[in-house]
Amino acid sequence: MTTPTLDEVAQALSQMVADKMDIDVASIKPDSSLQSLGLDSLDTFDLIFSAEDHFKIKVPNDQIKIETLHDVSVLVHKLTIEQNK
Amino acid sequence: MSISLNRRRVVITGLSVVSPLGNTIADLTHNIFSGVSGIKLLDAEFVDKLDCKIAAQAHFDPADHFSKHTYGMLDRTSQMALHTSIEAIKDASLEITDQLKPRMGVYLGTGMGGANSVEEAYIRLYRDNASRLKPFTVLMGMNNAAAAAIGLEHQLTGPNLTFSTACSSSSVAIGEASRQIRHGYADVMLAGGSESLLTFGTIKAWEALRTLAEQDVNDLTSSCKPFSADRTGMVLGEGAAMMVLESYEHAIARGATIYAEILGYGSASDSAHITKPSIDGQAITIQTAILDADIPSEAIQYINAHGTGTMLNDVTESNAIKKAFGDHAYNLSISSTKSMHGHLMGATGALEAIITTLAVYNNKLPPTINLSNPDPECDLDYVPNVAKTLPRLNYAMSNSFAFGGTGASLIFKKIN
Repeated sequence: MTTPTLDEVAQALSQMVADKMDIDVASIKPDSSLQSLGLDSLDTFDLIFSAEDHFKIKVPNDQIKIETLHDVSVLVHKLTIEQNK
Repeated sequence: MSISLNRRRVVITGLSVVSPLGNTIADLTHNIFSGVSGIKLLDAEFVDKLDCKIAAQAHFDPADHFSKHTYGMLDRTSQMALHTSIEAIKDASLEITDQLKPRMGVYLGTGMGGANSVEEAYIRLYRDNASRLKPFTVLMGMNNAAAAAIGLEHQLTGPNLTFSTACSSSSVAIGEASRQIRHGYADVMLAGGSESLLTFGTIKAWEALRTLAEQDVNDLTSSCKPFSADRTGMVLGEGAAMMVLESYEHAIARGATIYAEILGYGSASDSAHITKPSIDGQAITIQTAILDADIPSEAIQYINAHGTGTMLNDVTESNAIKKAFGDHAYNLSISSTKSMHGHLMGATGALEAIITTLAVYNNKLPPTINLSNPDPECDLDYVPNVAKTLPRLNYAMSNSFAFGGTGASLIFKKIN
């Protein structure tokens, strides 16, 4: 599998958030806080779960320190590189 | 705030259903009094792998009522329960004020809770060899998920309990909820049941118990035949049914429309056999409700029977009614509406309580359909095939009995 760019990860995650939260993908900005998008802690776990499925990665518990969608994108992008080696 | 332990009157002011006979009270009322069957060929991808291919499904699409974010974290059981809670409150024209919230609770019955979510999780693990499960799996599968979702939606901070006594779960929930109001612990309660267990695994488990009806070769919608000599068993159903209960004073003070009064509730246990029903246990359940209602047993005019359509239940229940009522048993009108809506398991008591309430409200008795060949051992009046109208229906009873032996009877009274 080709490793996705940070931009591709961010786009895919925005779409996941839009689907989960029933919101317009255009209203999601990369630096939006997850809280401002309506995600609580459970929704965040669910987003991480979907990202793990989509990108075939495993997010370790101690790395889930995220506030914005950009934080998630960076974390997921980093793990796709590390774990797809 | 003080709690009064006086015995207060409890009335029903709101009703809602998701059922095999429709998702509005108007549709349910029309169908039960017209003798319509909600039993059909099961619409499921696994139907060909079943011996018993019929069921009483509810036509309920959560996307019609909720955002994906809301329904995505709820099992179908909770989705249906939540929907009926919203509709029952609307039906009651009840405004939930900040003052009311701590005085209003939720009592719900369910047999298997989030059965769909649990089975989906197992499929993922055992069939698909997944290494992990969705984060909401526990929250969707737990038995109190539906009651919790209702409490959260309406921000109710009164008592919130889930009752799981198999087929009597939601009759117990309604009875216990009525006591919360009767004895002053709450002013308003949402009480009912929800069940959605038409999954491959659950239906296979029921098949193994050999209690499911055989498909009628001429008309599969007629497969459930309570009290009939040729009955072959029960038909599984799904749905949710919800009542708004409140103290009489509370209802009158806000000018609510009252469907009926809950006059009595009794629960007793067979403690005789895990599945085989007991005449004594059922008779005691019925008598306990009559004692609670403080009326002579001869006042009861109609019984909505548990009437599953199994050989054993229907004759046992008929004999229990004879034991509890003596000669008056032969004056009673009795019907099993499961002949139309199937057996909703943990939700069945609540659906039948609503049907009994509608009977009292409309002075009309729903029929037992598919009854043209009566069992000589079931020799009471089962309102065969056609609904009956009474000049006035004052007192009616709804019976629920269960695997595990917990029985519950509720008595409803017409409001003058």
